[in-house]
Amino acid sequence: MIIEFSKAILLFTAVLVTAYLVRHYIFTLAVLRKIKKPHSATCVAESKYEPTVSILIPAHNEENVIGRLLQRICELTYPSDKLQIIVVDDASSDHTGQIAEEYSKRYERITVLHRDKEDGGKGKPAALNFGLKHAKGEIVLCFDADYYPQRDIVEKLVKVFADPVVGAVQGRPVVLNEAQSVVTRLVTLERISGYRIDQEARDVLGLIPQFGGTVGGFRRRVMEELGGFDESILAEDTDLTFQIYLAGFKVRYASDAECYEEAVADWKAYWRQRHRWAQGHMQVCFKNALRVLKSKKLNLKEKLDGLLILHVYFLPVITLLAFFAGISLFILGASQFVSTLWLLMPLALYSFVGNFAPFFEVGIGAYLDGRTRIHWLLSLLLFVYLYNILICTKAFFDLLASKMLGKNRVYWAKTHHFGNGNCYIGN
Amino acid sequence: MKFGITQIVAALLLETIALCLIASFRFISIESTVALLIFNLLFFSLIFQLDGAFIKKLSLLTLGNIIGLAWNFFLQLFAAAGVMLFGEIFNLFYAVSQPIFNFMWIISFWSVSLSSFTPKNMREMVKA
Repeated sequence: MIIEFSKAILLFTAVLVTAYLVRHYIFTLAVLRKIKKPHSATCVAESKYEPTVSILIPAHNEENVIGRLLQRICELTYPSDKLQIIVVDDASSDHTGQIAEEYSKRYERITVLHRDKEDGGKGKPAALNFGLKHAKGEIVLCFDADYYPQRDIVEKLVKVFADPVVGAVQGRPVVLNEAQSVVTRLVTLERISGYRIDQEARDVLGLIPQFGGTVGGFRRRVMEELGGFDESILAEDTDLTFQIYLAGFKVRYASDAECYEEAVADWKAYWRQRHRWAQGHMQVCFKNALRVLKSKKLNLKEKLDGLLILHVYFLPVITLLAFFAGISLFILGASQFVSTLWLLMPLALYSFVGNFAPFFEVGIGAYLDGRTRIHWLLSLLLFVYLYNILICTKAFFDLLASKMLGKNRVYWAKTHHFGNGNCYIGN
Repeated sequence: MKFGITQIVAALLLETIALCLIASFRFISIESTVALLIFNLLFFSLIFQLDGAFIKKLSLLTLGNIIGLAWNFFLQLFAAAGVMLFGEIFNLFYAVSQPIFNFMWIISFWSVSLSSFTPKNMREMVKA
């Protein structure tokens, strides 16, 4: 009985892992093929498209970074009469609100909304919904407080909305404090693969590029139809991606719209952030997997990609299970399955190092970014992968426990920002 | 039919790769051959598409195969020594750790090869 069960787990995992591996291999090849082709001419309609834009900045205890972002926002090249900036001071106990108010006095187009401790501090989706009520622009862009955008980022992001079928856009985050620690360097590698290859390939192949909740935006009308962000979900951005597709709209990825972010700098902060992402992603999967499968607005490849995105954070948990299944088979003497384990382990490792991208995808992404020495850190992603197994397993059991206990709300663990990237900005 | 020096060198390098694969299968284990095949597939399908001289890529691929073969040979010696010292239980450790050890040489060599083809000019950290 145990042997049969273990065999089934190994086989299931091998098939699943191979599917993800092939997917990422196709992504890498698609991006390599794209850069070999000459650039297509920019659409004239896109370049002249200048809608009114509201920028939402939710901020909870961000005094170290909020001034840097607001200064930059005031330097944006987008016509100022078409720009509205809303800072949501989400029950901050530090000087975030005061700093934002100072900028508001200097620049008329900045509005600061304060939430008190009774209503606020319940997480980013709630803060964004609050800000959305005051947004007047056709397009709403979101920036986290630790981000630092290019001056022409608004133009780059909004141009895709010239196409009426586009419901949301995602730009590219680039790690600002890369040199700070090993963790920031490894996060940089994850970000490179996630955006330089993954998101770009999904955009090129007509799959599902993800809205990442920051350095991106959406059509306000679409958002109002959808009823705003789901405040009970920790990965409100991924949830919005699927809501947009289920409503018949698309998400586009604007690779040239770069924005610089402060990455988590130690393993503890990495754990907190990724635990939240994993838990949120799993929530989104429970909420949307069946709807994606049944939807008539998604084509077959979008459904397939959607299901793979939704289940990605379960894979480390399944891999851990398969690892124990392999060991039990070895101990019980079913030696032929140890060779299956042998094949499974490297496949799993190749597939899920770092932020669920195989090493070759990360490497090619770094190459396309013109990076040289960062490739040498690729082997270290093995440890990030092992760490992610623990994170995702804990997130899975935490979510299971909260469901069994009937708790619908999960705790929003905020990532603290220290302004560590400030020294890299030549302002 | 005339062959240039490049073609002759390329043929020799390809022959070396084939010999590495045969040697790994004949003298080491099927697992080591699979590891070499994975390395060759990833190198050939991805790195060969990048800018750079063909012969340089083929030389690096051959060097990778030789390193992989040597790595697996020493790994097998290590396993044999482990079984002699610690008994059969070492086989369990070996079964689990072998793919991870193989993973290390594949990634390390693949990455170093990749960096040798990357343009030297690093991008700026922050674009205005």
